[in-house]
Amino acid sequence: MKGNIIKYARDNIDTDVIIPGEYLKVHDYTELATHAMEGLDPDFHSKVKEGDFILSGKNFGCGSSREHAPIALSHSGIKAILALSFARIFYRNSVDGAFLLPIEIDQDAYDGISEGDEIDIDVSKNEIKNITKNQTYKMKPFSEIIGKIIAAGGLFKYKPDQD
Amino acid sequence: MGKTLFEKIWESHIVVEKQNEPDLIYIDRHLVHEVTSPQAFDGLRMNNRKVRRPDLTIATMDHNVPTSDRSLPILDQTSAVQIKTLENNCKDFGIKLFDINSPNQGIVHVIGPQLGITLPGSTIVCGDSHTSTHGAFGALALGIGTSEVEHVLASQTLWLEKPKTFEVRVEGKRKNPHAVTAKDIILSIIKNIGTAGGTGTVIEYRGEGISDLSMDQRMTICNMSIEGGARAGLVAPDQKTFDYLRGREYTPKNYESLVDSWRDILKTDSDATFDKQFILDINDIAPQVSWGTNPGMTCDIDEPIPSPDKFSNGDVNQKKGAEKALEYMALESGTMIEDIKIDRVFIGSCTNARLEDLIEASKIIQGQKVAPNVSAMVVPGSQMVKKQAEEMGLDKIFLDANFEWREAGCSMCLGMNPDILSPGERCASTSNRNFEGRQGNGGRTHLVSPVMAAAAAINGHFVDVRKLDLN
Repeated sequence: MKGNIIKYARDNIDTDVIIPGEYLKVHDYTELATHAMEGLDPDFHSKVKEGDFILSGKNFGCGSSREHAPIALSHSGIKAILALSFARIFYRNSVDGAFLLPIEIDQDAYDGISEGDEIDIDVSKNEIKNITKNQTYKMKPFSEIIGKIIAAGGLFKYKPDQD
Repeated sequence: MGKTLFEKIWESHIVVEKQNEPDLIYIDRHLVHEVTSPQAFDGLRMNNRKVRRPDLTIATMDHNVPTSDRSLPILDQTSAVQIKTLENNCKDFGIKLFDINSPNQGIVHVIGPQLGITLPGSTIVCGDSHTSTHGAFGALALGIGTSEVEHVLASQTLWLEKPKTFEVRVEGKRKNPHAVTAKDIILSIIKNIGTAGGTGTVIEYRGEGISDLSMDQRMTICNMSIEGGARAGLVAPDQKTFDYLRGREYTPKNYESLVDSWRDILKTDSDATFDKQFILDINDIAPQVSWGTNPGMTCDIDEPIPSPDKFSNGDVNQKKGAEKALEYMALESGTMIEDIKIDRVFIGSCTNARLEDLIEASKIIQGQKVAPNVSAMVVPGSQMVKKQAEEMGLDKIFLDANFEWREAGCSMCLGMNPDILSPGERCASTSNRNFEGRQGNGGRTHLVSPVMAAAAAINGHFVDVRKLDLN
């Protein structure tokens, strides 16, 4: 999975800046997407391209349980979030609705990847390749459980393995 | 080896358990509100599914309802549509709804306990992160997203990864319980463990500092577990818990025999161990005021705002976060908290809008007036809280002091209805999140207890309520 990085070099990006409360009344996902990240980066909508990734620090998606947050990012074209760590509800919401991949990275990847870099994520090898800088980093593997929900294509498609 | 309270509740709710798979957990109560449910009901319709247990599902409208005169039509058309949609969904799927005109309407986490819907030892979910509130009754209460809401509606179960256990122990007895409140305890805990300190865990709050608290206060503590990153927070039920729930509208008929069964089981065994532990002495806690843009950015009322260097302890992102927060909040490090002037006061939210919160705040303002240039409002957590408060004459105390006295709802906690801050306005708020723009685009939020908010309203700036005569 290839794409370019939009980097927010900070911790604690919360769901209120990902999609401010006033838009939780919006049911049309295309319209919702036009307000993604509005609380933090009003230019996000004009710069994001289909297939882009967001890179950020610790505790990404903290705060509210609003699934509107991964939905707004996903409908903006974001395919994965690379972060040092995630808040749990955002993490599960991303996976449950198969909206985007929440990928935990280490400090090397966080420091090494810059705004605009083209990267290639290979989930099967738990590897992130920085094509722009010709560097490779490890991603933290999904837990077995989360990996299965992702592989199934979301919560409703998931079934436990049969014995 | 013994088990923790959380482990006991978890194990008694497992429907399917397999190695390296999530556990399928049975859900005893599902609370629904207007904002995180519409897509879930759409999903049911699309797949021709019914609500599996409408009798265990309860709905109310709280997030975007107006808190002004309820006899008037809702002016915001998108809010009106969302509210109407919940009405239609509840009708179509046979779900009990406390609508905008119901005497039981209110913030979902305030009405659950008040109606006896929240029970010890049960599993409770709601499409809202502050569902952790119900943990005050020894319930395992989880905030979930809309996909999970749909899954629970369809199956009354959820696939969940078992969280780890986290003991937060508050030792000691408060010397000044009217000034150092449950809000100060939980803000102090979050300040210490950090906003991600509880990630992947369920916190059990223990110790004399917790068992001494009333149920209203325990709810304030458990409510903000999510702000420390935890999946849920809980307190073992005791006599206070059992007495609180007795005789409420939806308390089960066989309540006394349930209490007998809970008494021995619903506690952490003496030889149980936790994955993580944090201990705090209650006498080290002062009234807290948040200065930044997450609940971990908090300090004591008699402290200056820390420098980003001191706050970050050498962490680059933390430092940058603190610098950005100070810029957003238009504050400088070194400023004494008591010197910060405010424009607005909001007493409300699922954190601090229960009857005891309003009683405590009213004592501060009785016979006084809100400072000139400050506008202040009280939004009771539920219509029942509002009615009880009015029966005690609290509405008159607030109105005489020039507070607004509103109808129940989430209101200015999250800025979905017309109750919002204007850009640049600074608010002393009893809510739970001081994120950028949370209370309105450009608004600046300081999280405080109800007594601290009330005292700030009267004085126009923060004051140390320990200096006031509160007895």
